[in-house]
Amino acid sequence: MAAAAMNTDVEAVDFDSDDDDLMDEEGTIEPSPAPAPRLRSTIAGGGGGDDDAPRKTKGRGFREDPNSSSAHRDSRLAGAGRSGFDALASDGGPGPVRSIEGWIVLVTGVHEEAQEEDLHNIFGDYGQVKNLHLNLDRRTGFVKGYALIEYENFEQAKRAIRESDGTELLSQIISVDWAFSNGPVKQRSTRKRSPRPNRSRSPPRRRYP
Amino acid sequence: MAAVGGAGNGAGEEAGGAAFYLRYYVGHKGKFGHEFLEFEFRPNGKLRYANNSNYKNDTMIRKEVFVSPSVLREARRIIQDSEIMKEDDSNWPEPDRVGRQELEIVMGNEHISFTTSKIGSLVDVQTSKDPEGLRIFYYLVQDLKCFVFSLINLHFKVKPIQL
Repeated sequence: MAAAAMNTDVEAVDFDSDDDDLMDEEGTIEPSPAPAPRLRSTIAGGGGGDDDAPRKTKGRGFREDPNSSSAHRDSRLAGAGRSGFDALASDGGPGPVRSIEGWIVLVTGVHEEAQEEDLHNIFGDYGQVKNLHLNLDRRTGFVKGYALIEYENFEQAKRAIRESDGTELLSQIISVDWAFSNGPVKQRSTRKRSPRPNRSRSPPRRRYP
Repeated sequence: MAAVGGAGNGAGEEAGGAAFYLRYYVGHKGKFGHEFLEFEFRPNGKLRYANNSNYKNDTMIRKEVFVSPSVLREARRIIQDSEIMKEDDSNWPEPDRVGRQELEIVMGNEHISFTTSKIGSLVDVQTSKDPEGLRIFYYLVQDLKCFVFSLINLHFKVKPIQL
């Protein structure tokens, strides 16, 4: 991938951040001390050293009048300022973060015919499952492929991850990991290969029978 | 990020790399002001969520939390499986007074920014000029909302306002 290529297309969504009607409505926002982060920097500054290939863009969102309502996006999300968003306490470091009532674990690679009971059977071994979300695919009505599980204690969640990650559920390998982090994902600057154009599920091993 | 690498070494590259961004917006301006719901996943794992309605003097809900690489990867998997990146919004209904939806995704070297009106039901999809593409959008948006609502609900114990 040519390192010198530009992300010019991305500028199309770089709306004017002066439009802050929502911030005014909110009434609690301090004047932003610095220019609000913009989508452009979010993406372009996102890390990966080999991610400078020209992007193929598609959609009316790139062609619209910047004064249309979509132009307010910056103030709705990016431009709202740090104080505008509630977040639970975290130290910004690596590792998982506690949710308001416990620790949340994400299970992926869940078989589409799995039942809540199957998950309770596995994950009840590590502690009481306080909450289980086994969401369904809206089109097929089958399980979408993931589950979110809440434990009260860190140790319970940690053990669930350690002992059930990579195990089998209904002949599919499940991956089990924390759902939330204390801080940002470490960006890899040493990535060599291009972003893969494949449409396979990743990591592939999850889908092997 | 994970204490136990559930996903193995691919996690950072696949999901935590720069080449993934997702934003969805749905909203309208009406009697109760600008009512909308919006969320985004940033490349660094930050999930932001905003939900506003002035109905009964409700105030804006704005939440943010960092998600793990596994969560980003699952969002990405849901998008890839939908094949939304192959679609095009040129024949979808234009946003109107009833409302607008926006879906913006960066994945690899593809960047889509689709806009359309609100979709009340599958009837709207069937009678549109691009029922196949719009159906993919319709279900993908529901699946993504479902995922984000679960994450926000479990982390903060707030119930999103359904628009």
